[in-house]
Amino acid sequence: MIVVNLDVMMAKRKISAGELADKIGITPANLSILKNNKAKAIRFSTLEEICKVLNCQPGDLLEYRKGEQEDE
Amino acid sequence: MWNPSKSVRLSSICTKIAIVLVICAAFAMPNLIATYVSYTGKDPEIIHSLLLTVYACVLPGMLSLICLGMLLSNIRREEVFVEKNVKLLRALSWCSFVVSVILFISGFYYILFVIIAVCAAFLGLILRVIKNVFEQAIVIKRENDFTI
Repeated sequence: MIVVNLDVMMAKRKISAGELADKIGITPANLSILKNNKAKAIRFSTLEEICKVLNCQPGDLLEYRKGEQEDE
Repeated sequence: MWNPSKSVRLSSICTKIAIVLVICAAFAMPNLIATYVSYTGKDPEIIHSLLLTVYACVLPGMLSLICLGMLLSNIRREEVFVEKNVKLLRALSWCSFVVSVILFISGFYYILFVIIAVCAAFLGLILRVIKNVFEQAIVIKRENDFTI
């Protein structure tokens, strides 16, 4: 499964969820979905904004873990 | 100006009128059937069978109307692609099939019921397909809701 390591990057950049959501232009609820790996997909535009704000690469945020099943 | 909200409201009013009509018809049915039998010159022996068929259809008919009312109230609350609507559509479909079976059996003594039985079965099938569409729509909506 694909794991979103957004919380790790947020901790590294010392940015709060509210501030990040505000800078990306998404709701805190949607950011929470993304952060808690509940998202089914992520738009390139959202990924681009996150990378821009956190000054990182998509690979820093997304990780593939073999053998783990997605929670339904 | 006509809009979807008014359309749903109209459907809701029509459903409530239909419920009242079914209740009134259920009470007046013995007289209505007696009048029909005497008017068409049929054997009066058929009255009891006709009453049995009609009253057997009233229960799934009323259940269908109640399900329709609930479906419409969900739509008015903007809860369209939700699990409970799939359950309501499934119930509506089964009600149509039950009516179809009752009328098909009744067709052995009154052939015209077979035609209505075929119509009810066809309606049940259509509702079943709509239910399948709703099930898929819920999956697509969930995907869309969780696309950030």
